Amino acid sequence: MTQPVVTLSNLGMTFNAGKHNQTIALEAIDLAIQPGEFISLIGPSGCGKSTLLRLVGDLIQPTAGGVQVNGKSAQQARIDQDYGMVFQTPVLFEWRSILNNVMLPLELRGMGRSERQKRAQALLHLVELSGFEHHYPWQLSGGMQQRAAIARALAIQPKLLLMDEPFGALDEMTRERMNMELHRIWLETKTTVIFVTHSIPEAVFLSTRIVVMSARPGRILRVVDVPLTVPRGEHTREETAYFQVETEVREWLRKAKGYATHGLPE
Amino acid sequence: MQLRRHLPAILLFLAALALWEGLVHLLQIQRFLLPAPSVIWAAFIENFDRLVHIGWFTTRQALGGFAIGCGAGILAALAVSRWAVASETLMPFAIAANSVPIIAFAPIFNNWFGVDNPFSKMMIVAVIVFFPMMINTVRGLTLVDPAALELMRTYAASELTILRKVRLPNALPYMFSAFKVAATLSMIGAVVSEYFGGNRSALGVFITQEAAQFRFQNSWAAIIIACIVGISFYLIVMLAERLAIPWHSSVRSEAGD
Repeated sequence: MTQPVVTLSNLGMTFNAGKHNQTIALEAIDLAIQPGEFISLIGPSGCGKSTLLRLVGDLIQPTAGGVQVNGKSAQQARIDQDYGMVFQTPVLFEWRSILNNVMLPLELRGMGRSERQKRAQALLHLVELSGFEHHYPWQLSGGMQQRAAIARALAIQPKLLLMDEPFGALDEMTRERMNMELHRIWLETKTTVIFVTHSIPEAVFLSTRIVVMSARPGRILRVVDVPLTVPRGEHTREETAYFQVETEVREWLRKAKGYATHGLPE
Repeated sequence: MQLRRHLPAILLFLAALALWEGLVHLLQIQRFLLPAPSVIWAAFIENFDRLVHIGWFTTRQALGGFAIGCGAGILAALAVSRWAVASETLMPFAIAANSVPIIAFAPIFNNWFGVDNPFSKMMIVAVIVFFPMMINTVRGLTLVDPAALELMRTYAASELTILRKVRLPNALPYMFSAFKVAATLSMIGAVVSEYFGGNRSALGVFITQEAAQFRFQNSWAAIIIACIVGISFYLIVMLAERLAIPWHSSVRSEAGD
């Protein structure tokens, strides 16, 4: 078996440990993510999905267990820029054109101007933003801004893409379109993706596996395999297997919420 | 189109001048109370060369003070925003000092640097513009979208890189607001500090001396020069703002895209 891109072993995260407002965000998380997988993290609000993503990205450090990315510590992986990250908001710099925003990570790596321009242009083509290179973020719609953010995350050609509810702020139609595009990009780049979402259809459409998490303290309740063939498209949403997976995830989510409200599964 | 947009303002200005002129003649207001615009204009033309000379003299004090004060303010802001401890200890004082009438120190500065030394006026101006400059720059450097800082962290960017790529560009709009305030304040500071004594070729000195000799029309003419310089300075800063941060919303809406 190949080396996993991400290995989480007995991972735990407790905020304000030992204080009166101590919060156990994550507990006993074990997960290995193989190259090329598309993993969605889904669960009730406050179940620690985003926290888990931040631990993988070394934006925060765990209080228990460990994270390995590409066989390295999470910190080393961050320093080596082994991953690209897309946030809930596009986080584009308003003083930079779209092209310059996408070029930022390459600029920080000291890549030459013509080379990084070429790469950024290719990425803007990939996310279908060709022709908007010299626009400024405020001139683009929310969906287009988020696509630029995806292009920026892909600029360093990472093996791993971390996405924290990237389409949460978009309307349903735009979100579906973005899902199609992200699926296409994932197939083209063969990047491993960890994707945090609240939306069951989104998770089923995009993922190879869906990790359903319980309410706080966040634990992995169930890992649901998605046996849908690729490439996926409009037809996918009408397949029987699609409905089966959707139903399974929904049932597990209901159980996850049951833990939250009653402390017991329904 | 520009003319059309500003036409109401221009008409109001001319109407106010006409009303002023009319009232002075109609009510026979004494010249030392309020000279008519025509009288002020005549004094302005008569003393034009001298007025330009003293206007330039005072403008240099204002510019010098502006440069020193803004430069020091930016440097202090960089230090304060870098070290949280410095920020927590210094910012309350800076905000308090910002509401102190610094112009009241003018006689003391005259005493320190010498009443004839242009440096005494520059330092007053510098101290006046220092605080708004520093406070605004600190805000711009620190009020950064936390997600932007997280993004830079995913790039393993150093503090210096974050300063150059995120904090400074983020601070520019704040700094330009401060530059605009400082431009106006520096001219006020220079003229008023000259009221407390200074070189004979200073605008403030000229205004007080002419007033003391009841040549109020000359004082008024000098005030026109002060207005022209003050407004020009502000407009130049505004123009620089448009060139420097065309992407910012304040400039965008004015440009009318």
